[in-house]
Amino acid sequence: MNWRAIFAIVRRDLILVARARAVLVPLIVVPALFFVVFPVLAVLAVRAGGDMLAELEPLLEMLPAQVVASLGPGPLERQLVVYLLEYQFATFFLIVPLMVCAVIAADSFAGEKERKTLEGLLYTPTSDHELIGAKLLAPWLAALALSVGSYVVYAVLANALAADLVGRPVVLTPLWLLVIGWLGPATGALAISVLVVVSAKVRGFQEAYQLGGALVLPVVALIVGQLAGLLVLDALLALVLGALVWALAAAVLLLASRGMDREGLLRQV
Amino acid sequence: MSATPSIALEADGVSRRFGDVLALDGVTFSVPMGQVVGLLGHNGAGKTTTIRLLNGLLRPSEGSVRTLGMDPQRDGPAVRASTGVLTETPSLDDRMTAREALRFWAELWNVPRAAVTTRVSELLERFELTSRADDRVGGYSRGMRQRLALARALVHDPPVLFLDEPTAALDPIASIGVRDLVRSLAATHRRTILVCTHNLAEAQELCDRVVILRHGRVVADGTPTEVVDAARLPVRVQIEVDADHRDVAMRLARAAAGDGVTPGDDGTLRLDGATREAVAALVSELVRAGASVYRVAPEQATLEAAYVALYNAPEPAAEPEADR
Repeated sequence: MNWRAIFAIVRRDLILVARARAVLVPLIVVPALFFVVFPVLAVLAVRAGGDMLAELEPLLEMLPAQVVASLGPGPLERQLVVYLLEYQFATFFLIVPLMVCAVIAADSFAGEKERKTLEGLLYTPTSDHELIGAKLLAPWLAALALSVGSYVVYAVLANALAADLVGRPVVLTPLWLLVIGWLGPATGALAISVLVVVSAKVRGFQEAYQLGGALVLPVVALIVGQLAGLLVLDALLALVLGALVWALAAAVLLLASRGMDREGLLRQV
Repeated sequence: MSATPSIALEADGVSRRFGDVLALDGVTFSVPMGQVVGLLGHNGAGKTTTIRLLNGLLRPSEGSVRTLGMDPQRDGPAVRASTGVLTETPSLDDRMTAREALRFWAELWNVPRAAVTTRVSELLERFELTSRADDRVGGYSRGMRQRLALARALVHDPPVLFLDEPTAALDPIASIGVRDLVRSLAATHRRTILVCTHNLAEAQELCDRVVILRHGRVVADGTPTEVVDAARLPVRVQIEVDADHRDVAMRLARAAAGDGVTPGDDGTLRLDGATREAVAALVSELVRAGASVYRVAPEQATLEAAYVALYNAPEPAAEPEADR
């Protein structure tokens, strides 16, 4: 493997992303909304809720016993803050790797086709595996970095907002570790695989990104399901879901990689 | 590669089909090391397909190709490590600067790390891009983009170059610079260069040999002079006589060459399609008639004229290669 060439392509793809406003804006705005604006609003709302919080008590009663136990003793305000920060936002978090991978993969595959820059790459001495591997790696590594970065910001913010109320550090839990290191990367990988398939069939970045946007629906279903009390993303579910999503990503990628040799890529030029 | 092969590029009975379209049909030619060879033909004649086959981007449907003795399908990375390609469209990232782009390509071609900065600076200088090296390519003119694409093809100093329309979009001075560069690379550094161009005067001037493709078939292969001769173009001669004998000259010329005689604006006669013998006989008769023959000038047949003749020839007559 020519790792120098692989990382050169990864670096170049990420430079290109950093210089395209249409690509860069969602990469900044979405994490900022989900991990700065929404947590601040949510915690402030709960802390200012007073007697109205009682209306939310049935939500906690629907939770599995082990989840309720992990929230610790009352008051209700404290339990709700722990639940929101440690469980509810964990599902929101999956949007970050998914969106990052979808945006960058759309730019990297469909965007390259649109800009007619792929042919130049095909004439380089990189092997088919190195070329395709590098193009898969760029969005995945970016998603991983942005996920870790977002989590660090979120953890600092969450503790600043709630540690005094909760009486212990928050969001430093096995669930978050699994979301950042297992389920999140799997979600990103699935997004990339799907975007590879989509990009082969569309003309440009916008079209690929819009079609790839459908990927967010299962995550939205998970968020809504949790808000409705139908399920709770805990460590065990994250572990199992992660395995399923990795398997699905591998299957889609295997399907997409058929005919993804140089001649197959050339057809996209 | 154990030793440098004497033949740099070789196509042996290569056909390539895209669905129902036969892009190349039994193409055979070879390019010895150090030659500049022009691959000529209309759009869609199969030139780009040939370059892609020789670089392992496409597989032949039939026949075989070899580049520097290697099979581009089996040894693709090794082949492409030894070739530089100027594609028909420059294929450059608008969001990168020229310096970043060249550094990127240098890394892909595994230019030694310590040499990258120097090599990039040399190329920027050679192609007069230094003053705009840190501007994004998106703001470049077509000529600047073409120069940057040329620099990319040379970033790893490859022994074999494929240049698709190298002087397209360049101003006359830059075009001369590129032609000088091609000559120097071939003559001084023994680089092998396959040039695709629609500029036939450029091909005639630059190439040791030309291969003309028509509908995916080789219809001519030889030096520009051989290809012109093989096209059997009619002889075109200009004759200038003294003013008192122009009418006599016209009458005698018409008797010798029929309708192929036209008077020139400058008092000369132009003979199209006369045989060499007829021209010699006409000059003798003019001298006998007392005319002063100031000039008998055969017009040099051009590669362009030969190309047009080959393209206009009926298909079956064009099939055999004109010169091999």
